[in-house]
Amino acid sequence: MSRHKLVKNLDLDDEMDDYDGGDDYADDDTEENLRLGTIRVREELPEASGHITDRQIQDALWHYYYDVDKSVAYLIKEYMAKPKKEQKKKVAGGFYLFFPTLQVHGGELSSKACSKPFSFAEFFKDTPWLNVPPERQAVFIAPLYPRGGLLGGSSDGAPKMSKLQALAAARKKKAQEQKASESSGVEKPMAGLSLNESASGPSVGSEATEPSSALKQPSRRFPLLKRKDSKPHEKSQKAPPHVEKEPETNDIPMSISPGDLDQAEPSAFASTMFNSRDRSPPKHSANLFTLPYAATATPATTDPFAGPSPDDVVTAAQSKVASGKGGKGPPKTSVEKKTDQIANGVEALKIDDTPKVTSKNLDVLKEFEQKEKKNEANFVVIGHVDAGKSTLMGRLLYDLKVVDQRTIDRYRKEAEKMGKSSFALAWVLDQGTEERTRGVTIDIAMNKFSTNKTNFTILDAPGHRDFIPNMIAGASQADFAVLVIDASTGSFESGLKGQTKEHALLVRSMGVSRIIIAVNKLDTVAWSQERFDEISQQVSAFLTSAGFLPKNVAFIPCSGLHGDNIVRKSTEPGLTSWYNGPTLVEELDNSEPITRALTRPLRITIGDIFRGGVQNPLSISGRIESGSLQTGDALLAQPAGEKCFIKALEVDSEPADWAVAGQNVTIHLSDIDPIHLKVGDVLCSPTSPIKIIKEFTAKVLAFEFLTPMQIDVHRGRLHTPGRIREIVSLLDKGSGAPTGKKRPRIVKPAQLARVIVELEAAVPLEAPARVVLRSNGATVAAGLLE
Amino acid sequence: MTDRRRINGPSGGTSAPVYSKYLTKDASDLDRPTRTRAPNVLRKMFLKTGVTPSASGSAYFELEALKNQKAVAPGLASLSTSGLKLTCTVHGPRPLPKSAPFSPHIILTTHVKYAPFATRKRRGYVRDSTERDLGVHLETALRGVIIGDRWPKSGVEVIITILEGEEDQWWGDDRGRGSSGSGDWGMMTVLSGCITVASAAIADAGIDCVDVVAGGVAAVVRGSGDIGKPSPTILVLDPAPSEHQEIVAACVVAYLPSRDEITDLWVKGDIGHENQRSLLQTYSYEDLADNAVQAALGAHRVLVGALKETADMKIRR
Repeated sequence: MSRHKLVKNLDLDDEMDDYDGGDDYADDDTEENLRLGTIRVREELPEASGHITDRQIQDALWHYYYDVDKSVAYLIKEYMAKPKKEQKKKVAGGFYLFFPTLQVHGGELSSKACSKPFSFAEFFKDTPWLNVPPERQAVFIAPLYPRGGLLGGSSDGAPKMSKLQALAAARKKKAQEQKASESSGVEKPMAGLSLNESASGPSVGSEATEPSSALKQPSRRFPLLKRKDSKPHEKSQKAPPHVEKEPETNDIPMSISPGDLDQAEPSAFASTMFNSRDRSPPKHSANLFTLPYAATATPATTDPFAGPSPDDVVTAAQSKVASGKGGKGPPKTSVEKKTDQIANGVEALKIDDTPKVTSKNLDVLKEFEQKEKKNEANFVVIGHVDAGKSTLMGRLLYDLKVVDQRTIDRYRKEAEKMGKSSFALAWVLDQGTEERTRGVTIDIAMNKFSTNKTNFTILDAPGHRDFIPNMIAGASQADFAVLVIDASTGSFESGLKGQTKEHALLVRSMGVSRIIIAVNKLDTVAWSQERFDEISQQVSAFLTSAGFLPKNVAFIPCSGLHGDNIVRKSTEPGLTSWYNGPTLVEELDNSEPITRALTRPLRITIGDIFRGGVQNPLSISGRIESGSLQTGDALLAQPAGEKCFIKALEVDSEPADWAVAGQNVTIHLSDIDPIHLKVGDVLCSPTSPIKIIKEFTAKVLAFEFLTPMQIDVHRGRLHTPGRIREIVSLLDKGSGAPTGKKRPRIVKPAQLARVIVELEAAVPLEAPARVVLRSNGATVAAGLLE
Repeated sequence: MTDRRRINGPSGGTSAPVYSKYLTKDASDLDRPTRTRAPNVLRKMFLKTGVTPSASGSAYFELEALKNQKAVAPGLASLSTSGLKLTCTVHGPRPLPKSAPFSPHIILTTHVKYAPFATRKRRGYVRDSTERDLGVHLETALRGVIIGDRWPKSGVEVIITILEGEEDQWWGDDRGRGSSGSGDWGMMTVLSGCITVASAAIADAGIDCVDVVAGGVAAVVRGSGDIGKPSPTILVLDPAPSEHQEIVAACVVAYLPSRDEITDLWVKGDIGHENQRSLLQTYSYEDLADNAVQAALGAHRVLVGALKETADMKIRR
């Protein structure tokens, strides 16, 4: 039988009869089951369940698969609890209009209006154009944005957040809300409490919180403060009668009365500035025209607790009375009159300016003794021009690894480019472009090195006769001297006539007593011993006549260019065969420590003035001749007479707190204009300032003929023109007693004389100073101030 | 260092000429301002935070102007005395530049600058030693408050511009004595204001602090007694130098009220020795410092009020 036939044979009416009311449970036994179930459910259901239809029961049974208990439970839950809703649902079958955030007041949406298709004309029927009555206006509830970012910052607009941040913030907010809803019962009143307390006005609030905080943290007290009570005023406020009983002294109780309103209204300027930001209208000043109806309206105060509370007003009044009583003071007694006199004296005293940089008040000498590990020595390198002074020192520094190989290689390359390859080592010290192109040292070059016994400072002096003043400046800072002599044929002879002699005389007259003679360039004469001996004899004869003791003179044969006998012992067979003495460095090390004038008043001659950077607009460098200093000390600049302060201090280009005589220091000054300082000026302590003089008497050794003539007086960096006003007498070289006739006309070379020198400008000079007198580019005399 | 980049105004004040017919004999002394407040009363302050939108935090501070109730002579605008006005901006915390060495804590930089027009004597555009000094003091005061360990490798800059400074002395005195007489007393009040306003700005920037620090000044002053018979010294809070004939000593503190700590203390002047004190009934330096702390407490109240106001406004919005 085909499917078609089956369909054809289908009795449609019969089939439709069977199908009762669209239900899909058509079977007879199903129907039977349902009927039985319905009866059982009806039995189970309570009395009041009459309104539940059979159909509903059958539905429930069908869904719960004839489980009577479950069906009953469902039916009770569904239809017994809210029977009314059930009915209403039946009645209103129309469509609903939802305005989730838009609540419309007033106009009631009747079910009748809604049952019709919605028309906007109907909705706005009784609403006028413009001037919508407030009750018809929509109220927009602002969404809650997460509070992100820090307090402050750009005050308009919430800070920009990335998507991730926003998500995190939203989650956090959700969690917070949940938490808040859970714990709102307990926490909310507490929060209100704390807020109330903190908002109860600035004056009251601070008092109320203070004792508790003091109780909480007694250990946090400032330990050095010897106060019995950290809040004396608070105490007096709490017990105002106590204050009133204290008028025995004439001091006024210093409590800030609690009634004070410290917060001021903004000034005109401030209110202009913040006007746009202020929500409250600006306060009208009295002289402005105010609108009649606006005059009565007081501007709303932003903080109701800003003003004094009534209690505060009362306490303020009380304390004012108390202070009025206390302030009068007792009548004057005789003691008081005496104190007045003293007060007069005190008033006459001028209050000295306190130093701007705080001094550490170190005992510098003690510090110095504690720190002293190595000797310090400065030596000046002198000699005739082209004797090889700079090269010798360059070699010394290079061999002692003060200068590295790369630098030397660079100098070599550059020197070769200029065709002066032998000058490479000299460039270590000759840094200036002019010095390098000309191949001569022009100004003092300074460098440092240290052996295991002593820290040395090299002062490389220029040899050329045009730069003698610079050489004098260098020699004035030196403890001993290294005299470099060119041993090559002809050079030594010309040198002895030239600056070798003059330099030796000058350093002697500057007070240098020890001298090391480096006989340089011996390699050019094949390390000849005869040459060395010849030079030694001639030079030592001359030095002895100049006043050096033979024990303070040492000769060392060496070669600066090759480095023999400078740091390392020479391996040249020509030299080792006859010389076995110390090298130059060993000889330098043998120099005994020099005693410093530490306890004498401070003196520094300014060697250089420069701008030490942005932080230190004015810095000077120089050697401390005597005394000591530390950061924060006051200094007096002479001859300007200006006071200044030591802001910072550098010894050997490292920051230090103090320095003593003999050290080369860089001082950063404050509180002084650079116009008051010039090279050669003296900085001294304000308590014992150096005198400025225009005339002095000196005991001088003449190198040339001296007559009353125009001269230049040199002392370190300082040099000033002047003239010999008078030759007082000639002196005996041995005893120093006056010899010959008084007031001689002329002083011959190598004679000792006492002269009076008159200066064109006043300069700071002091008694045991050594001065050099020069005239027409040559040194004519040197001597000691008296 | 002279400033050669700008065309500078004259260094002195430029008051209009006063013709002799207006001058009575003691006109100048009539004009001298006197302290009308009680010794323990501070000048009123105005403090507002969040004034500079581009900065992380900012604040504006002013002290009320002096009221010259005895002004009888024709008033000259240039002679009017007015209060202190400071504005402070805080930039940061922000990362240090790559070139800077590693720092385990925040690097605090402070700049204090007088506006050229801030004082009667015109100020330069380049910071002078006074301003650098104020900056150092301010840094000391703030360093103890900021919890620096929370921002490694970062820096914060506190920049204060003094729009209107405190006068160092009454203008009449400074005409007579020249520049030597004044002892920079105005600086003390300025520093105290700087501390308070910087504290507010730092709080506004949201930088963690152990407490809000407030500045306070107290001074021992000698009132204007008869000539040859000086009046005894008294201790005043918040001294305005132009109101006093002579300030003997003054003290600024930066005070943390809730911890009872002082982060910066600066005493200037000389009270005298111990033995003199018993005769003169003057005050010790400790009294001075204690009273400066009280002044700081007063400033702290205003500070807390201003911060609260800003916080309320932000939260309510």
